[in-house]
Amino acid sequence: MNKVGAYARNYGIVWAALLLFLLLAITTPAFLTVDNLRNIMDQQAVTLIVAVFATIVLISGGFDVSLSAVYILAPLVALRMMESNQSGWILMLVGTAVGVLCGLLNGFVVAKGRINAFIATLATSLIIFGLAYLVSGGSILRITNVDMRAIATTKILGITSATWIAVVCVVVAMILLERTRFGRYVFAVGGNRESARLAGVPVDRVVIWAFTLAGLSAGLAGSLNAARTLTAQASDDFGLVFTVIAAVVVGGTSIAGGSGAIWRTVVGVFFIALLGNGFNLNGIDPIVQRIVQGLVILAAVGADAWSRSQRE
Amino acid sequence: MSGPHLSCRGLSKRYGATQALAEVDLDVERGSIHALVGENGAGKSTLGKIIAGVVQPDSGSMELSGRPVHFGSPRQALEAGVTIIAQELSLVPERSVLENVFLGIESSRGPWVLRQALRRRFTELTDSVGIYVDPTAIVGRLGVSDQQKVEILRALARKAELIVMDEPTARLSKSETHALAATMTALAGRGTTFVFVSHFLDEVRGLADTITIMRDSRVVRTAPSADETHDSLIVAMTGRPLDMTFPFKIPPAPDAPVVLDVSGLTSAGRFADVSFSVRKGEIVALAGLVGAGRSDVAHAIYGASSVDSGTMRINDAEYRPSSPRSGLRAGVALIPESRKDQGLILDRPVSDNVTLPYLRDVERFGLISVRAEDEVAEDRSARAGVKTSSVEANVRTLSGGNQQKVLFARTLMRQPVLLVADEPTRGVDVGAKRAIYDLIVDLAAQGMAVLVVSSELEEVLGLAHRVVVMHEGRVVASLDGFVATEESIMQAAFGLSGNGESSA
Ligand SMILES: Nc1ncnc2c1ncn2[C@@H]1O[C@H](COP(=O)(O)OP(=O)(O)OP(=O)(O)O)[C@@H](O)[C@H]1O
Ligand SMILES: [Mg+2]
Repeated sequence: MNKVGAYARNYGIVWAALLLFLLLAITTPAFLTVDNLRNIMDQQAVTLIVAVFATIVLISGGFDVSLSAVYILAPLVALRMMESNQSGWILMLVGTAVGVLCGLLNGFVVAKGRINAFIATLATSLIIFGLAYLVSGGSILRITNVDMRAIATTKILGITSATWIAVVCVVVAMILLERTRFGRYVFAVGGNRESARLAGVPVDRVVIWAFTLAGLSAGLAGSLNAARTLTAQASDDFGLVFTVIAAVVVGGTSIAGGSGAIWRTVVGVFFIALLGNGFNLNGIDPIVQRIVQGLVILAAVGADAWSRSQRE
Repeated sequence: MSGPHLSCRGLSKRYGATQALAEVDLDVERGSIHALVGENGAGKSTLGKIIAGVVQPDSGSMELSGRPVHFGSPRQALEAGVTIIAQELSLVPERSVLENVFLGIESSRGPWVLRQALRRRFTELTDSVGIYVDPTAIVGRLGVSDQQKVEILRALARKAELIVMDEPTARLSKSETHALAATMTALAGRGTTFVFVSHFLDEVRGLADTITIMRDSRVVRTAPSADETHDSLIVAMTGRPLDMTFPFKIPPAPDAPVVLDVSGLTSAGRFADVSFSVRKGEIVALAGLVGAGRSDVAHAIYGASSVDSGTMRINDAEYRPSSPRSGLRAGVALIPESRKDQGLILDRPVSDNVTLPYLRDVERFGLISVRAEDEVAEDRSARAGVKTSSVEANVRTLSGGNQQKVLFARTLMRQPVLLVADEPTRGVDVGAKRAIYDLIVDLAAQGMAVLVVSSELEEVLGLAHRVVVMHEGRVVASLDGFVATEESIMQAAFGLSGNGESSA
């Protein structure tokens, strides 16, 4: 009973994702086509990039609401800086740098200010959204140099460059978390802060790094998205963060910190993507989609809480 | 009503590959104090948890006052009058004693709690059981023994008749232990049944009516406590004749250099003007009552807390640690007092916990080599005597004593110059205690300086070459560990003597 529970909690999401995949493959003819699958991957690239680094923040016991704001601000700053001479590389570089700065800000506020991460990043979100309006003057910034799309859409081995960038991010995050001192420290800080401190873990530095990486990923993802859509616009839409946190949690990383894995988030992202794709292909109302997504998240968080209470 | 209060038959429990409990039969008389003893991992906590419905057995049955029962949860057990007080107390520290005792069963009218009625019930309860605690006191500010009284009151307020206590005295001072024992004896006289787990065999024999000895997940025997001796218990627990409890003391070389020198160390409100030194190969015990400031001093030496004034030197070089990291860098290692709150990351594997402060040692080309890590973790765990199915197992799945040994395995990663061990054998069984003592003596013999904080006088006397006694944040005596006695230490600890050989 207990064992079944533990197993379901550990690998349930994998089975659920596989089942969903099979279900769609059987019921929905338009699903199992190279184009559709490639599209799903391409569309999820941006979410995936942010989600894997948000996973690290969550495991460290933190939470970052400001990722949406960073995602929106980063390309605006980059485009403003370039004005006439637009280049894809500068967009990515400057956008990522903006992300790093925002992440550093979050990290410092959370680590040194000892402020609850959720509240702290909610506050910085507002600041960053505000900056986005100021930088853009409230108008849509367009990319006139159409060649810049290539940064996101070039096909390599049949897969878009955006997808490749996401793959690289996944691999980097995995290595960081599983095979480096930093990764171990992240688990330790999220698992038990005081034990970590007494074991010589530089707790503040770990927290700052985790937020910085997440900020970096949001800046990178925002720039990538701007290159793909050839526009950037200020808004105070928290949408990305919801999708990202949903994916992380559905994958099985605990919001309580101390446990989780990158592969889980990858599965979580695709589970939610498959759900959405299935609904779209079958022409189901987007409102229903949202409700189902909400239920899935509740189920995932509920399973986490339940398994926590089961263990002594 | 005759017949036992609780009767278990054939209880078994398996965790993955580990058989935690095998075919256990147990009869507990009403109004008795029934002790469970055994080595670490023998299955005592598992049995206690099954009795109180915290975990469910794979097979076997239980009867309460002759009626078959199945507890699917602690709540069901409590409804039947059975509860457990775990070693980590489950009180709400910010709230008052009164609120804690009646949490969830308040007298109320609609949403309003009736404080007057609560007070009256509290007085009735304390009068009927003879335990007294100030109902308005904030629980977090009470000593551990008073907190335990609150836990007991809370259990009794919920009409518990059988209370399981898992190592209730592990964190108590001698006098607090006496207070708890008196409470338990009085309650037992009024019909409350206690099942309690402890590693202090003399305390067990003094307190319990009946003792059940466990080994390797089975019951070896159950006998009246009067029939057992310290030695008979140990032989039955370990399955081998006992050797001396403490290893032979090897004094440090007369000209051994001073490794740690502490002078005038002061931290406002915690300790003042603390001076002493530890030489190479020397084992110094920091003795005193709980709350005398010993752990604070230990933390300050490790760099885990700051000091206001005073100086420290390590191997004659100035030493001002600003964090545990700088302590570690200077070759100081700490085994903290509470393994769960300060030592371990419970939901990570044994290997991660062992290597955490020294990950550089298992890196290859900047990345952690899992092979190298597992190898070194296995080696250190074996040397520290950790019993685990694999170093990949989460520390949470280890028994209490084995968790403690994981912390020792960690300090074996490198050879520190100074080991500071705060209550190093808390919750550790007799056999494993000896193993840890051997380890400490061995490390000292190899030239490590060792500072042991301990509330167990036996341990202080058995290990220390020198005993530094603290009282209310000050060093009051420094005694020769070869001639010190329990009396001389206690006198100083209570602040009575002041004429120990004057401090160094
Ligand atoms: N949740 C768990 N998952 C896996 N194994 C467990 C779990 N809990 C206990 N065990 C294993 O069951 C065995 C018995 O453990 P138990 O905690 O009952 O020992 P104990 O007698 O209380 O020891 P100690 O004196 O060290 O507290 C041990 O080998 C332990 O590793
Ligand atoms: Mg135990």
